[in-house]
Amino acid sequence: MTEIFTLSLRQLLGRWRVLVILLLAAMPTLLILLIRALGEAELAFEGEVIDLIIDGMVIGGILPIVTMTLATAAFGNELEDKTLYYLVLKPVSRVSIVLAKLLATLVVAVPLVVASGVVASALVGAETQTLGTLALALAASVTTYASIFTLAGLLTPRALAYGLVYVLVWEGLLSTIVSGVRYLSVRGYTLALLHGLDEESFAAFEQRVIEFPAAIVGTGVVIVAFFLLALYRLRTMDVP
Amino acid sequence: MNSPTVPVIAVESISKWYGSVVAVNDVSLGIEPGVTGLLGPNGAGKTTLLKMIEGLAAPSDGTVTIFGETPRNNPALHRRVGVMSEHEAVYGFQTGRQFVEWSAKLHGVTAVAEATARAIERVGLVDAQNRPLGTYSRGMRQRMRLAATIVHEPEAIILDEPLNGTDPRQRIEFHDLMRHLADEGRTILISSHILEEVETLADRILLMVSGKLAASGDYRAIRAKLDEQPYNVRIVSSDPRRLAAALVALDSIASVSLGAENDVVVLSTNVAMLQRSLSRIAKDHNLRLERVEPLDDSLESVFSYIVEG
Repeated sequence: MTEIFTLSLRQLLGRWRVLVILLLAAMPTLLILLIRALGEAELAFEGEVIDLIIDGMVIGGILPIVTMTLATAAFGNELEDKTLYYLVLKPVSRVSIVLAKLLATLVVAVPLVVASGVVASALVGAETQTLGTLALALAASVTTYASIFTLAGLLTPRALAYGLVYVLVWEGLLSTIVSGVRYLSVRGYTLALLHGLDEESFAAFEQRVIEFPAAIVGTGVVIVAFFLLALYRLRTMDVP
Repeated sequence: MNSPTVPVIAVESISKWYGSVVAVNDVSLGIEPGVTGLLGPNGAGKTTLLKMIEGLAAPSDGTVTIFGETPRNNPALHRRVGVMSEHEAVYGFQTGRQFVEWSAKLHGVTAVAEATARAIERVGLVDAQNRPLGTYSRGMRQRMRLAATIVHEPEAIILDEPLNGTDPRQRIEFHDLMRHLADEGRTILISSHILEEVETLADRILLMVSGKLAASGDYRAIRAKLDEQPYNVRIVSSDPRRLAAALVALDSIASVSLGAENDVVVLSTNVAMLQRSLSRIAKDHNLRLERVEPLDDSLESVFSYIVEG
């Protein structure tokens, strides 16, 4: 599995992809620094700042887009280049292949997304414990999205386009305005995880989070279910 | 190695269809140690058949086994099998050596460095092994892919159009390597759409046309059968008129016509006899033969002849 993992890591870190996701991940910090430089407002880790920076920018935008960009490419690159047969015709289990691809995505996406949220939060005065909670919830959220988009990359060459529609419409719009959707939304799970782990710091989410246990179960079920679906897809598909 | 009485690769009534399109239609065959050539024009279903044999595609109907085991979702079997797909893509950021090493490690080879060095030496790319694959010529890339395919010393080797992009010298070296591997008792299946590529290499050929197995057997027997069909042959010589007059007298010549560029086009009902007679005619009439080439020895014409009987 190490060989597939390192190869996948090298594939993900090539090309234009790294530049785009680095820029995306740096946006919250750059925005805070810009606001400070302009002296427009005194920012603190509370209320609107949490809503705008943590939920709006990081959880609603940067996190799913960075993860999607990497996870859809994990198998998408192999399918596009027609190199997947190099992997599946080796004496390596399908579980190892999917796991290696998923881990390669996580090794890149988790530090980037966590840094994106944590550095921005630290700049506006979030406490260390809160930063720890944020890092944990963001990592869980990245893993959930990675599982979903790894399958998407195996299903269609247009995974990035479909993924963007899903992120904007389902996670961005519907999960905000339709309360029931939050039970089937990674964003809903992430907000509930943050609130459940640290009610005081993330009180801003109180009116729009699902139950904490539902978020834990939802996150776990989505990660495992989509991993198994990716495994099933790899076992049953005709490899080009 | 497997017993020669049991086909190493056994295909039973296999079919593959995509919607209403039938890519492979009820093909059965057995492949034993030695070199087997899978011939057919583009679109005949060769690659689809190979993908089912390799386990990359699921048959719509029928069964495939390699060494008695189904190749589909059978990772352990791939320790004994080496596959080189028609797709020439490689991981361009790897050097040739890294690519072969990577393949060796994934195949569970224990002495990776030695196996890698041996495989690269076999394909004659020692000098280029530390260059990124992205800088290789097409022929070099094919050879390094071949090294990665054989690095784990597979007992069965399946190669889909392996000679694409190679030059004549590389083809000769490829033939020598395949013969050597076959002499070691390995089972080698090579697909091609070019008759000449496997003519001197394969012990046995399988001919595919329109998704069906049109013929199979010893190459020379099939070649002899092909030689009985009328062929147009173009001959360029120092004196086409004298050559045409001499050729007309042969029993095996159905017609003779003069071309515009010192050439004669003859329709021969027995190419083998024409070949034997030409050198005698040239000597007797003091002619210099510059070129002799079949005009319709395309795979398609050969296949249509065999299929139509």
